[in-house]
Amino acid sequence: MSEDLIPAVKIENLTKTFPVPFRKEKVVAVDNLSLSVKQGEVYGLIGPNGSGKSTTMKVLLGLISATSGNSSVFGMNSTETASRGSVGFLPENPYFYKYLTGAETIAFYGKLCGINRKEIKERTNELLKLVELEGARDRRLAGYSKGMLQRIGLAQALVGRPKLVVLDEPTAGVDPAGSRKIRDLIMQLKEQGITVILSSHLLEQVQEVCDRVGIIFEGKLVREGSLQELIEIENQTELVLENSNPDLLEKIKKLINDQEGVNLIRSGKPKTTLETLFLRETGGESRDAKNDS
Amino acid sequence: MTEANEKSFEDNLNSGFKIFSPSRVMAIAMNTFTQLVRMKVFYFLLIFSVLIIGANVLFLNFTFEQELKILQDVSFGAMTLFASIFSIVGTALLIPKDIEDRTLYTILTKPVPRFEYLIGKLLGILFLVAVSLVLMSILFFAVLYIRQYGILAEETNQIRGQPTAEQLSSLKETIFSQGLRLELLNGVIAIFLKASVAAAIALVVSTFASSTLFTIIVSLVIYFIGHAQSMALTYYFPEGDMHGALQRFIAGIVAIMFPNLQMYNVVDGIVSGQSVPFALMARLTGLTGFYLVIYSFVSWILFAKKEL
Amino acid sequence: MSITIKSKIYRRGGMLISIAILIAFGFARIPLESKTEEHLKKYGFRDWAPDISAREQLTQASFIGAIGGFRSLIASVYDLRAHEAFRNKDWASVERFRKITTSLQPRFAKHWDLAAWDMAWNAYAYYRSRSEFCEDDLERWQIERIIMPNYLEKGLGFAKEGAAWTPESYLLPMVVGDIYSQKYKNTKLAAQWYFKSSQAEDAPTYIYRAYATQLARCEGMEKKAYEVVSDLYNNGKIRTLTIRRDMERLENYFIDDLMRNNSLDKLQRMLEENPSDYLISAAIGQFHLKSDSNLGSAVEAYRGILKNPKSPQFYRRQFGFLIARNPDNQENAYQVLKKMYIKAPVIFREKDVIELSNIENHLNIPSNERVTKIDRYTKE
Repeated sequence: MSEDLIPAVKIENLTKTFPVPFRKEKVVAVDNLSLSVKQGEVYGLIGPNGSGKSTTMKVLLGLISATSGNSSVFGMNSTETASRGSVGFLPENPYFYKYLTGAETIAFYGKLCGINRKEIKERTNELLKLVELEGARDRRLAGYSKGMLQRIGLAQALVGRPKLVVLDEPTAGVDPAGSRKIRDLIMQLKEQGITVILSSHLLEQVQEVCDRVGIIFEGKLVREGSLQELIEIENQTELVLENSNPDLLEKIKKLINDQEGVNLIRSGKPKTTLETLFLRETGGESRDAKNDS
Repeated sequence: MTEANEKSFEDNLNSGFKIFSPSRVMAIAMNTFTQLVRMKVFYFLLIFSVLIIGANVLFLNFTFEQELKILQDVSFGAMTLFASIFSIVGTALLIPKDIEDRTLYTILTKPVPRFEYLIGKLLGILFLVAVSLVLMSILFFAVLYIRQYGILAEETNQIRGQPTAEQLSSLKETIFSQGLRLELLNGVIAIFLKASVAAAIALVVSTFASSTLFTIIVSLVIYFIGHAQSMALTYYFPEGDMHGALQRFIAGIVAIMFPNLQMYNVVDGIVSGQSVPFALMARLTGLTGFYLVIYSFVSWILFAKKEL
Repeated sequence: MSITIKSKIYRRGGMLISIAILIAFGFARIPLESKTEEHLKKYGFRDWAPDISAREQLTQASFIGAIGGFRSLIASVYDLRAHEAFRNKDWASVERFRKITTSLQPRFAKHWDLAAWDMAWNAYAYYRSRSEFCEDDLERWQIERIIMPNYLEKGLGFAKEGAAWTPESYLLPMVVGDIYSQKYKNTKLAAQWYFKSSQAEDAPTYIYRAYATQLARCEGMEKKAYEVVSDLYNNGKIRTLTIRRDMERLENYFIDDLMRNNSLDKLQRMLEENPSDYLISAAIGQFHLKSDSNLGSAVEAYRGILKNPKSPQFYRRQFGFLIARNPDNQENAYQVLKKMYIKAPVIFREKDVIELSNIENHLNIPSNERVTKIDRYTKE
């Protein structure tokens, strides 16, 4: 990525305070936060409840205004309505108009993005296929499951062909198979060069897809960096062997002991994840299985 | 990052964006309309038809003038009631519900300016009220048409001997002049205009209100005061020097701040045989437009700064 | 402008700006709305003022409904309540509810009509029948001298006020006329009001005839009455029985008048001057009949009337009876009268029918051939 490219998101010294009724002191939701998301990267925003993640996203999306500081999307001030032409947003626990069918919902949001009548039909079909909801296209959203609603949410977020997609807890309350699909979708978006900002409590999942992560706590960005940098235990190395034998293991242990300053911390059988086991038992594909092939 | 890059990027982003897009507004309006219709809101039509047919059947023992009048009174009364309720309750439901359900986020995070969202909602509800009134009018006019011919037959039978052509034509004119006539349309239009203002009031209140119930209550209070507002006006400019300064001041405030909804009450006169001249209808329509523009603007100002 | 300043303005200024706009809007629209109110008043849409007296008359719900745009419906409800009170003979309530309906919708003529009807006819008739069966003299006196006239007055009051509120309508002036003619027997005032009613655009033609009829009964108005009645007789679309009778009665009056004020010679001279004035011929004929019993001259005079195409039909009947006075011509006269009676029975008044029957008696006409159905033994 060229350093001359405008960042997809740039937040500079963002502060947001909320007044407390009948009191002088205010609640500081975001405190002098600065971050930058490059075009095409998947950025994870993590933090405990009330840390300011949602507030930051809302400022970015123009739903609330900053008390001080700037935020921009592809170089355009995020308070400008035009900036949202390049953004797609999936809120947490989305609830759409339950009287609309799946297809009508996508078409509605498509019209709001300025897609003309001719294109809308095509785009709706495309997205329904992408999120695997073709079978339920004419069913009203009132009859959708949580996972289906989440997928429709993704479809409406993508309807305007955004360059930036903001996902707030995209896999919360979704079963492992659905969750897997959403994660795959995020990877697809990344391959297409779409920037993704993702906020989630499910740290395992953040770990899987994100290039960079920012940790927010009490309104401040306490740590930021690429995932590799952040979670690598720098001075440790992992080795996973298949079809080895005890003799080989002994030889390796001896080699380690001979090396000064190097310690064998742990050896044993690696564990599969519960997720992989679940998916294997229920017929879905797991990451491990994918990696194995 | 060079300035040229930045500028061309911004142009690219901006190229699709229109500051005002009628199609976006229409998308929101039609969505609002669909939402309310699919809430089975048209079941009220059943109630309406039962009411007017009931009104028709119950009063067959009265004079035909009374019968025709009661039919018109009940029909117009039902239309006024439903149109006002729909306008206020329907509008009061829309924005708080969108905020509560967070569907508002999905809309405003699209390139949709807030004022388009408000106008779209208002247009959707007005369209619903208009369609409802058209359907109710068709039903009302049909019943009135059938009944006036029925009355003509009954009255003709009551004439002793063979009625002369003069008697028949005189009777027909008397009956039909109190039955289905073009003037009734003005009554329907006046009901629609009043309901539009009621919807706009509810829109303003809903932009700063915290809940649907609060919006409905406040809007109804304003709606009621709006009917008594013209009394306040005459109170403010009394014929004699009867009222104290404080009372006049309060009356003045009421007259300025609250809409005058009494001026839309032309149905009573129409039923008793009066006509609304075109110029007067044009005035009422113009004033309604004025109300809608100002109230929409105020809604936008209140909504634009609203933290979501 | 940075976000900071913009958002500060929004936050603090939003509500204030809105209020300022609403106030400015208020000032701007008040003159427009006042003008609109003027127009509404001008075209009769502001007949009811929600003032203290209105508030006292109505229940709270009705008052709110009336302000809220349901005034006509509330009026209809009170109309129904009045009807209910009428069925219960609760006249005080009837009056109260009728006052309400008429004040809520003063331009609806039927409200006033029903109010007048309830007072001057229904309540009046109720008390009249009570007085008939009343054994107490004082009570009867009270009913007849106080209560009944009181209700007539109330009915008249409603009708007159209604007429003032509905100047374009024929209905209420007609009701006033009805009260004067049927209840007060005041033919002059009845005639005045029927005339007023007949001038309304929607007036049915019978109103003018009612005016003519009342006028014909007004003493001292015979000339004017004759103008109106003869115009209706000759040019009206329908020649009703009443018009025929009034025409004959008025002509008889003028004939008597001519006879009283002129000698035979003078009458003959007048006839020479105005040969087409058949009234003079009739006066001459009557003169011969009553003064010198000269039947022949009377017949000649009446023959002259018949030759006049303008002369009304009843002169043919009169002529027939005149001929029948001569016993020699009675049979022929009877045949002519018989044909006349079969063809146009309307020109025979009741006494004419009796006279015809007497002729039949005199001629011993068998009952199956008689045209009158009166008993053979009716006295002359």
